[in-house]
Amino acid sequence: MMASLIAVALVSCILVLLRWPTDARIDIVSQGAMLVFRPLAFALTLAVMMLVPAFPATSLVAERKKGTLALLLNSPKSPLEIYLGKLASNVLLALILMSVSLPALAACVAMGGISIRNHILPLAIVLLVMAVQYSAVGLWISIRASSTDASLRWTYAAILALAVLSVGPLVFVGNLSGLAGLIAHWLTAISPMSALQQITGSQGAAATIGISTGWVDFLVASAAITALLAWSTLRLLDPILLDRARPTGKVITGDTGGARRRLNYLVDPNKRKAGIPWWLNPVMVKEFRTRKFGRLHWLIRLISVCAIISLLLTVVAASGTVNWGVERIAGPLVLMQMALLLLVGPSLGANLIASEIESGGWQLLRVTPISALRIMTGKLMSAFWTLMLVLMATLPGYSVMSYIQPAISGQVGNVVISLVIAVAMVVTISALVSAFARSTAVATATSYGLLLVVFAGTLLIWLARGKPFGPVLVERVLLINPAAAALSEMKTPGFEQFNLAPTSWYICLSIAAGCTVILALRIWSLSRPD
Amino acid sequence: MGNDSSPVLQTTNLCKRYGDFTALDDLTIHVDRGQILGFIGPNGAGKTTTIKILVGLSRPTSGSAHIAGVNCSEQAAKIKHLVGYMPDRFGSYDNMRVREYLDFFGAVFGIAGAQRRKRIEEVLEITNATYMQDKFVESLSHGMQQRVGIARTLLHDPEVLILDEPANGLDPKARIEMREILLRLAAEGKTLIVTSHILPELARICDTVAIITGGKLRAFGKLDEVMRDLCPMRSYEVQLVAQEDVRNAANLLQETLQVKDISLSEQERTVRFPTSESEHELASVLGKLVSSGVQVAQFREVVGDLEDAFLFVTREEADAKS
Repeated sequence: MMASLIAVALVSCILVLLRWPTDARIDIVSQGAMLVFRPLAFALTLAVMMLVPAFPATSLVAERKKGTLALLLNSPKSPLEIYLGKLASNVLLALILMSVSLPALAACVAMGGISIRNHILPLAIVLLVMAVQYSAVGLWISIRASSTDASLRWTYAAILALAVLSVGPLVFVGNLSGLAGLIAHWLTAISPMSALQQITGSQGAAATIGISTGWVDFLVASAAITALLAWSTLRLLDPILLDRARPTGKVITGDTGGARRRLNYLVDPNKRKAGIPWWLNPVMVKEFRTRKFGRLHWLIRLISVCAIISLLLTVVAASGTVNWGVERIAGPLVLMQMALLLLVGPSLGANLIASEIESGGWQLLRVTPISALRIMTGKLMSAFWTLMLVLMATLPGYSVMSYIQPAISGQVGNVVISLVIAVAMVVTISALVSAFARSTAVATATSYGLLLVVFAGTLLIWLARGKPFGPVLVERVLLINPAAAALSEMKTPGFEQFNLAPTSWYICLSIAAGCTVILALRIWSLSRPD
Repeated sequence: MGNDSSPVLQTTNLCKRYGDFTALDDLTIHVDRGQILGFIGPNGAGKTTTIKILVGLSRPTSGSAHIAGVNCSEQAAKIKHLVGYMPDRFGSYDNMRVREYLDFFGAVFGIAGAQRRKRIEEVLEITNATYMQDKFVESLSHGMQQRVGIARTLLHDPEVLILDEPANGLDPKARIEMREILLRLAAEGKTLIVTSHILPELARICDTVAIITGGKLRAFGKLDEVMRDLCPMRSYEVQLVAQEDVRNAANLLQETLQVKDISLSEQERTVRFPTSESEHELASVLGKLVSSGVQVAQFREVVGDLEDAFLFVTREEADAKS
């Protein structure tokens, strides 16, 4: 948490320092202040999006598992008071986060061109409402989830859907009218992006296709969603409803039956698993088996969805229904993969060590003869292969692209290399955070924060290319982002001017290697006698 | 490796300090093969510290601990094969069935495939847990988890089993089953160290007892020896018919026997006192009580148990502190 606060404060300071006027006059229509305010507003939004949901997402599920939720519900406090208490504690966290940026926001006002009434206050209200809404989302999922791990993953998926994907379909569909237009309007209003664009005076994708929503619409949509989620969560905050039946533990031992039954048996979640073979790292197998998404049937579902999306995107480009070339369609494809990577990766990595310590499993591992190195490789590989399988599922899309335009085969190869390096970075950074964190929630929030700084924060700098950041600085910053390297390889609009690979690969691989070395030392130290 | 006549487990002047705090002070104990050691002490007494040293999770500040002749801190890798440790926390994994859970720990201990399958079946059989092999570990009741925990510690066939609070939170039936499992293991030649706060339960299974408070060993030896040493005075209880006789009886006993620690309960109409007097003396005391008009319903010796010994030690320590 402290690291996140320091990071937000640091970003704020750097932005102000870069654009602080050097002459004595105040520019009342200052573009300089807006150039600081805009990235700052987006950075704060990202911080709220990524740091706030982790704690409510683990809150109720962790309490239920420890048995303290039943104690709370049996206390004189009403479910509403418990719910509001949890919500308020989380919103306070967001307020602390926002308070760190106050000096920078005040500096924007002092620079001129930014007013408290038209800019600062609406931004503060939007951020606060976001914090309330995302806390409600986290609590709503937390009361339903069976584990903290699952709760975290679903919460971040929901946040991504609310903040980004709600705008996405409209960008592809274009202008709409009538009922479809109304739905499109409110779908866009769900996302804080449109509200932020209005506050910061920037033009977004939604506006270019004729859909513009204000920050007040966002407040209305957000309040409606929050109220609905709160009502739904409160219905489940009841000791009777918490009393769930234990799973029966039904297994299917044979693969007899018809051809369909035999085929199903291969991926049947109720199939009795064979023992861990000698040539596989047992820690890796354990990690796969203890994750719901690590089970074969879930992996197959996930990979199928990725493959279908990537093929659809490519078909859209190939059929010419949208006048976009391969370069243009490669951008969303890379961004989709990165979004998927950032959604699944940090929670996977952040669980590796922290949850093992939390569950008491680490102490059991310490009394076994398995070496620290084997524990580390098993854990890292379990996350690495999961993410690789998901990424590999999008390869059909790239294959079709190479078929349409054989000249880009080399570029596609470079994109794949960048993506593999991105996987290595995500896994090692989040695993390292996990090895030092005190709880899974802290590890997850910190991992999301750090990786967003690397993957999205650098793109914020890229968004402000030309003003205030020069091309050399932007290129240097993008070197630590393998997604940027992939985008520049595909000559995606806005990235054509940068030549990031292979320098970016070396830097990113060095970061991953450095994290691995520190992680190995940390695991060795955690395995040693006290 | 030690031979059969030497103790399987031996600690010598074991000390563990954390800065100024002494968690363990000069602990010397030994346990022979096939014996069950009851390791007793209040919370924070140093039991877990000792256990951690024995299983290689902590290094002693001074002194040594050996299991089957292997130094616990210097040869921690070997110790892991010799000891099966069940901590007070189960260490559950989500979405994992009991068989998969045991398979994982078997694989971690390097037990080969076919042998592992056989061993899992054996340990499930020993702990009467075969029927739960397909259940998810997180969905097991506490009693079931304890049995799976013991099965896990048995997987690599260790010589010594260290069980931290195995009976904690178990219902009476599960407690009896646990007791039977532990006695069976001892009969098979396993050496067990068991910590528990349920002392009557522990007294029924252990051969040797070590009582530790404030990091110091207060009593150690065979159960009956410890009881004799710690409870040299026998305890007697007089059950009276009338409540108003309780004070008279207590005064009379105090005058006759000159004992200080007389405890009385008017509600229960009882007077309890410790004594080392002979049976003849006590018979004459009973005669005096009856002749003074006190109506005695019962006059009997209260058999001392491990709980009394433990309370005696902890009371002694509290008195010393005050």
